[in-house]
Amino acid sequence: MRALHAPDTLARLYGDHHSWLQGWLRRRLGNAVDAADLAQDAFVRLLARPRQFDSLPEARGYLRAMANGMCVDLWRRREIEQAWLDTLASQPEQALPSAEHQALVLEALHEIDAMLQQLSPRAARAFVLAVGCEMTDKEVASELGVSDRMVRKYVAQAMLHCLQLEARSIALPVEVAPLYGASRS
Amino acid sequence: MGESHSAATAVVPDSVLEEAAHWYALLRSGEATDAQRAEWGIWLDAHVAHQQAWTWVERIGQRFSPIQDSPNRESAIHTLQALDERGRKRRQLLLGLAAMGGAGALGYTAVCHSPLSGRLQARWADHTTATGELRDLNLPDGSRVWLNTGSALQQKFDMSLRRLQLHVGEAFIEVASDRQRPLIVHTEHGTVQALSTRFNIRIERRATLASVYQGAVKVNASASGRTQLVQAGEQLRFTRHDLHAPTVADLAREAWTRGVILAQDIPLSELVKELRRYRRGTLAVADEIAHLRVFGAFPVHDPEGALEMLSQALPVEVRRRWPGWVSIRPRSP
Repeated sequence: MRALHAPDTLARLYGDHHSWLQGWLRRRLGNAVDAADLAQDAFVRLLARPRQFDSLPEARGYLRAMANGMCVDLWRRREIEQAWLDTLASQPEQALPSAEHQALVLEALHEIDAMLQQLSPRAARAFVLAVGCEMTDKEVASELGVSDRMVRKYVAQAMLHCLQLEARSIALPVEVAPLYGASRS
Repeated sequence: MGESHSAATAVVPDSVLEEAAHWYALLRSGEATDAQRAEWGIWLDAHVAHQQAWTWVERIGQRFSPIQDSPNRESAIHTLQALDERGRKRRQLLLGLAAMGGAGALGYTAVCHSPLSGRLQARWADHTTATGELRDLNLPDGSRVWLNTGSALQQKFDMSLRRLQLHVGEAFIEVASDRQRPLIVHTEHGTVQALSTRFNIRIERRATLASVYQGAVKVNASASGRTQLVQAGEQLRFTRHDLHAPTVADLAREAWTRGVILAQDIPLSELVKELRRYRRGTLAVADEIAHLRVFGAFPVHDPEGALEMLSQALPVEVRRRWPGWVSIRPRSP
């Protein structure tokens, strides 16, 4: 295994890049508080998955790619939160869940949304109904107006997709692949 | 790769992920046979990569549990739909495509108001039980109701009628006499009307089973309107269209109210089916032993203990791979 950088290296990285990154994020997000949070998160991630850089531009390129991914993630989170609040507001007779409960549901929504984004809408729907609503294939089939066999196929397809994501996220050896590849901008 | 059972994460080939996805789709479909469950157990045992893939399957499934367990489940599902639609609209705009017809009509929206989704309506019921939970209720008219595992019961009493709607599961009802107000239990298949009586209603996959232990009930199939009187000591299975012939009331359908799963000379596969209702996860039984006859009283509140009892009474072995995922197989010599 390649030598991972010591905490003092991270400290230097932090000193060199933190305020630059925070500024970059502030311009991107138009919001100083979120920018400060994300900049902090970026370094926490580096701490969790350490990485060595040979040059200053390389470090900045990596941090920018990572921060960009985090912005996209944050926007999606906000969008999910808004959609959830809109749905609750449109059903006034519904008891408002506790903040703690909402946080759990939102986290689940976020994770599921991330898993299913690349999937075909029909497969994603079938999967959400089947697993989220614990419906049988027959029930999902009659909701979606497709055959039982098709539902089974959609569910298998969706699960395979999720499994591939899972396998990839775990199989990535830390010292080979970065959290966000350089190709992602 | 060989049979190395190292602690490190196994390398899992894509073909194994595909197999795992297919097993998952089959096991959760509601259509899996006992033979298939047993086959799954064999697949699982066959290789460490299969087990690795299956832990991921479980992890993915668990991401849904906050939503499954939420009283706001419909809202959560709506939210996913809204996000899905927004995402799709955005993609369409980006691609400069006209809005696609058809696909959008297949929303989740229908689900939440659909009469067929008993399990969804169950979320709003007055009285519900979780998997493995039993409840003993006193209704305002003095009637007593035992609610079995994974059940949902709605109560709509007014001046002239006492209505109960059993959305899912099983309920045993000891009806308090009230000549002015009949008590009627609705299920998706029809109604069961009682006067002073003790009876059990159980919703099965395609039918409702009404078992009477005292007095009598009148069963009515909702679609055909056919009716029949069921006397004490009898039970009758009905669908929306048909009434089956009455048979002798099964004592097991009363015993559960005392916390006992009663097995009187039934095949192991039947008992396993019953045990599945009380526990989460999958319980598989191997084909070779599915026919073994079982006698006994097994504790409702302790399905794991019931499995233990089985392994002592029969030549079987209970294997636990992960919490909740259990297979029963012939005892190895």
